[in-house]
Amino acid sequence: MTGDPRRRLLDEAVLTWMREDPWCDDEARFDALAHELFAFQFEHCAPYRGFCRNRGVDPSSIASWHEIPCVPTGAFKELTLTSFPPAETRHVFRTSGTSTTSRGSLHLDTLALYEASLLPTFRFHLLPDLPAAGRVRIEVLAPPPEEASDSSLSHMFGVAIAKLGSEASRYAVLRGSLDTEALRVRLERDVEAEEPILLCGTAFGFVHFLEYLEEHGDFLRLPAGTHLMETGGFKGRSRELPREELYAELEARLGVPAECVVNQYGMTELGSQFYDSVLRQPQRPRRKLGPPWVRARIVDPESGRPLAPGEIGSIAIFDLANTGSVCAIQTADLGRAIEDGFEVLGREPEAEARGCSIAADVLLAGVGS
Amino acid sequence: MTEHAVAAQVGALRERGRALAKRPRKEIIDALARVLESWRNPSSPWRIELESQLPDATGFRAPTVREGLERALAHWTGDALEALVARELEPSASTRYTGFEVTALLLAGSIPMPGLLAMLGPLALGSALLVRPASRDPVTARLVTQSIAEIDPELGRCIGEVHFPHDDEDAMEAFLESDCTVAYGSDPTIARIARRLPPSRRLVAHPHRLSLAVLGESATRGSALETAAAGIALDTALWDQQGCLSPLAVFVLSADAEAPDRVADALATALTAAEQHWPRGSVTPAAASVIAQERDTAMLRESASGRVRVLTPAGGAFTVVREQDCQLRAAPLHRFLRVHPAPDADALERGIAPYARHLAGVAHAGLAPDAIQLLVRTGASRLCAPGILQCPPLDWHHDGMPVLTPMARITDIEPTRG
Repeated sequence: MTGDPRRRLLDEAVLTWMREDPWCDDEARFDALAHELFAFQFEHCAPYRGFCRNRGVDPSSIASWHEIPCVPTGAFKELTLTSFPPAETRHVFRTSGTSTTSRGSLHLDTLALYEASLLPTFRFHLLPDLPAAGRVRIEVLAPPPEEASDSSLSHMFGVAIAKLGSEASRYAVLRGSLDTEALRVRLERDVEAEEPILLCGTAFGFVHFLEYLEEHGDFLRLPAGTHLMETGGFKGRSRELPREELYAELEARLGVPAECVVNQYGMTELGSQFYDSVLRQPQRPRRKLGPPWVRARIVDPESGRPLAPGEIGSIAIFDLANTGSVCAIQTADLGRAIEDGFEVLGREPEAEARGCSIAADVLLAGVGS
Repeated sequence: MTEHAVAAQVGALRERGRALAKRPRKEIIDALARVLESWRNPSSPWRIELESQLPDATGFRAPTVREGLERALAHWTGDALEALVARELEPSASTRYTGFEVTALLLAGSIPMPGLLAMLGPLALGSALLVRPASRDPVTARLVTQSIAEIDPELGRCIGEVHFPHDDEDAMEAFLESDCTVAYGSDPTIARIARRLPPSRRLVAHPHRLSLAVLGESATRGSALETAAAGIALDTALWDQQGCLSPLAVFVLSADAEAPDRVADALATALTAAEQHWPRGSVTPAAASVIAQERDTAMLRESASGRVRVLTPAGGAFTVVREQDCQLRAAPLHRFLRVHPAPDADALERGIAPYARHLAGVAHAGLAPDAIQLLVRTGASRLCAPGILQCPPLDWHHDGMPVLTPMARITDIEPTRG
């Protein structure tokens, strides 16, 4: 835990909220904590302070958390944004950096908030029927934390397995490769045992496994009640698959219907994650929902102005779990608000529209290589 | 449009292409010269219609379209076309240049100029033309066809236009049945086409390209700087940096550490003035998101180091980032310029090197001859003064190639005995 007493109080206030069951969605509480956190980060993160001042914003000038200036995710590739002394860094998570020349990094002086945030959210959205002390077999199509110590995703799976997974839980990516054969054998045992499992991994990992099943003509019917969580995109990968096609193939090859497939939206720069609402609210539109200590807004990318429901804009996230860095993040993803949540639309490469000119990550990925 | 409809167009154009090949070249060139002259006339109905329809189709603002057309067409005269034909296709006793029966033209992007010229080339060679317009510009090809048909109906009948989604593989297959394909587009698009074409077919590819500006010490002060900055601002504002001749970055070759700041300030002033005359067009949410990411990240770097500066007006109509080094960074386009310091020629060479493979044009001012030689070595196909990047001459060796002969069948006729 950090040595700064003010920070300790902030962390404790956020941790208290995270430990509550059931969750309490309290706007006034969020606003008060966001104000305090912004004031703390304004004081302790010098680049962020200058950034806010250039916009004429300081803690005394804002009336609501909506006015807290957002830091672009791209900045985490350029700068170390911490609100604690660098010497107190205990852990560094890095982005995958699959299609650009540099990787973003989140420096943490404690993992307490990250872990306290991820676990109840993971359980709430992926294992809604799990009894209080229950455990489930979790199969992970990603490397274990000891093989990917800078991956926030692997860390998340490690915490989830430690707290919610049965002894039979496994990682299917070992020593850098997906062991498709072993994975298939384990899933066949699940089919025989008729015990539902939680199957988690990257979208690209699932595509890889589906290709393996297709090559071998295999179809598995995983037990009813099995839930599947996929996350991440295909940037920089050899094959891209629209999400609808991925879900159709998951149903065809694994027997997991789309209504049991949950997309997780998270990123290295954030301490909290969002999940599709399908398991919690199957009758309502699929949309991303997060815990009450994180808020998402859809904003005009250039001005930061909030957009009306249905309008396409940037996804801006305010995450109280980010006490050690910056709580207000503007992602590079586009989205639109749906009811009390949002839909992620990705980044739309625009290559077709642009023609023979060249831009952005195309420049970095292609020209820079 | 189905694959069958596309195939039918190719078939019909083959016949017309065979007939066209028999027409005297001079007759065709005279007609195309009249077409160009008609486009140069601001009161021509096609140009008026293009100016009226292009803003809605592409998002460019009307004054930007007008200025872009006026400047680019100023030198595209009928005489220039005849001179080009004379130089590249001069008949001789030993060499003949003929067109393929059908040339397929795949257009991309939203700028009309490449499409206009690209449509004339195959016809000048006596080839029928099958064009697939860019999804962002459904206007130009149709109007060019109409203008040709009005001046020379027979030539007009040698042009077919097809529309199909970029992922319609069957329609693309039929389209690529043409004998020669001229393709504009992203590197992946060009690669996809190249993979599908058998080696016996001709492909003239215009893939990803970009342009830069380089200012030497003498262009970083006083009126020389004002002139250069105004020129670069114009090159940037026209077509909103969407073209391969749009500069994405400005390198300042000077040992004076203050020079990049002066250049950045002058560019901001010039872009502010440009915005008054030629306002920036609409920006999609995706593009706006990239601009915001890069702008705000630069602002954070500015706060962290003090060596980076971000100059952007309220409303964000443009962004100038005074960088602290020559490191390659993302180019969001839509009037987003980075100014890089290059204290010496080595730094300039290192800075430009990552761009070199994709370099189209370099606008430069105030450079010594050795620095200009350095730019020649980068492989850029055009070096010019700031302010005219967007107005290449008709005979510019686009992508380092001749204008017409890459689309021609060339036959050398050697003397026979007896």
